[in-house]
Amino acid sequence: MDDKFILRTEGLGKTYGNGPERTIALDSVSLKIARGKLLALYGPSGSGKTTLLFLLGGLDKPTSGKIYFNGVEVTSMNERRLSRLRRNAIGFVFQNYNLVDELTVLENVMLTMMFEGKPGAERRDRAEELLRRVGIAGKERRRPSQLSAGEQQRVAVARAVANRPELVLMDEPTGNLDQENSQQLMRLVTEMVQGEGTTCVVATHNLEIVNEAPSKVVLKSGRIVSS
Amino acid sequence: MIGLAALILTYVSVQSLVSTLEINIAGSVSSLGGEIDVWAKGASYPLISKINESYAGVIKSIHGVALAAPITLAPLTIDSNEAVVAGIVPDQLPALLNYTMLAGTMITSNQSGILSIGKLLSATVVKHAGQTVLLNGANYSISGVYQTNSWLDYSVIIPHIVAQRMIGLQGGTSMIVVITKDPRSIDNVIGEIRALLPGVDAFRRTDAPSNISPILASLEAITTDIVAIVTLAAVLGIMNSNLNNLRERMRAFAIFKATGASSSQIIRLVLYESLLIGALGTLLGLGVSYTVLKSVSIPVVQTINVSVILVPSTFIYATILGLSVSFVAALYPALRIAKVRPQEVFRFG
Repeated sequence: MDDKFILRTEGLGKTYGNGPERTIALDSVSLKIARGKLLALYGPSGSGKTTLLFLLGGLDKPTSGKIYFNGVEVTSMNERRLSRLRRNAIGFVFQNYNLVDELTVLENVMLTMMFEGKPGAERRDRAEELLRRVGIAGKERRRPSQLSAGEQQRVAVARAVANRPELVLMDEPTGNLDQENSQQLMRLVTEMVQGEGTTCVVATHNLEIVNEAPSKVVLKSGRIVSS
Repeated sequence: MIGLAALILTYVSVQSLVSTLEINIAGSVSSLGGEIDVWAKGASYPLISKINESYAGVIKSIHGVALAAPITLAPLTIDSNEAVVAGIVPDQLPALLNYTMLAGTMITSNQSGILSIGKLLSATVVKHAGQTVLLNGANYSISGVYQTNSWLDYSVIIPHIVAQRMIGLQGGTSMIVVITKDPRSIDNVIGEIRALLPGVDAFRRTDAPSNISPILASLEAITTDIVAIVTLAAVLGIMNSNLNNLRERMRAFAIFKATGASSSQIIRLVLYESLLIGALGTLLGLGVSYTVLKSVSIPVVQTINVSVILVPSTFIYATILGLSVSFVAALYPALRIAKVRPQEVFRFG
């Protein structure tokens, strides 16, 4: 195993449907993601960015190919091991935040730690610290719907890093944000990568992010066209 | 929650009504003392049994019989309450019953207008030794208050002859209670009674409740059927409600899964939630049942209305039933929601 790379895929493919309605979302995608770096995954809508992120995060199973996380094959893992992986090693940030509106902001951030079984006091302290870091201090008791879009996305980032994952996957994190909020969020992500050595994969069609990312992969019609 | 409360109300009501009937009917046949009960053949319980009083003399003449006491039972009004009145020959009382006089004396003669009252009934009508009560519309003086620790504590004892006149049973009696000289001869005596008096049924006192068991068994079978049907309906209704509720919260569960919740954690989450709601529903049902049943009375025999007896075990079983229904009704929805695929929910909503 090459320790330099946290994630590696080999001939990754994903198709939806059968017969004439068969859609190829990803076609033989092989890539290596360097540890502790920010990788921008660029491509137009429908290019397979989200599908690739879901596969990398163990949320979906590929039709073909393999994924290795820290040298361990993810594609053959059962649901139980995948859950543990998502809980401990991978964080997700979604375009539409995917915060649970029935829970408070603080509870949303504590979610992964709760599933990990961390003690109440520890997860509360960690969640409060993260919310301070992302600038949401004082709004812990609010519901996500009571926050602005930028604030919700920062809460989502706090939730994604709560369990100190090695890898954070972000699907169009700035897709619903204005320029100021986008820049603020990306500064946060950069700090995270540099400060904690977290690997970030950001799927985006925001060229500004792509240009600032140290490494990038361009997807088109489910294939890597440049990296 | 409301559905579960309704189930608990149904269960507690039905069970309590049956318990009340069982305790009142079975109690009235099983605690009169003696060794052998003699009832009219085919009578389900002594309140509807009528036999000739002269049979007591016939039975007394059987070898080995120490006492053959005619007893007349009737549901009558005492002040504004209703209770079973026991007509017993005063001389035979000490041999028949184990009682303690709490105040005054037990009836000692066939004099009309005097009665002894049980402790519980005395407390209910708030009348004590030396005072008068209205028995079936006539004034009776209370000679004393007794305690037997049986159903007789919610009853009055009057002379047998007075009871016969009062209910128009001259020359007749509800039952005859027999005591043998030697308990080993009980079966022989029963055999002789049956041979001598084909119109009556004789059996050990301890077998008396089983004599009415066909009625109670039918009642219990009906109760069981009702509870089973209502429980099934509750399980299906609550399960459907759970499925709809979880479907509406599919996104939240998809998020849980995406953030690392395992299937078993999601199942546990749903079951805990369901049990919590179930516990609240059960509590509500128990409260409503207690309040409602405490305020109603039911006719046990003819015109006798008694308060519903609330047996603690019914409430314990109701709690177990409520929690079990909550658990079972949540199991299938929990298993289904645990299979949620976040990628599909996030993509297609």
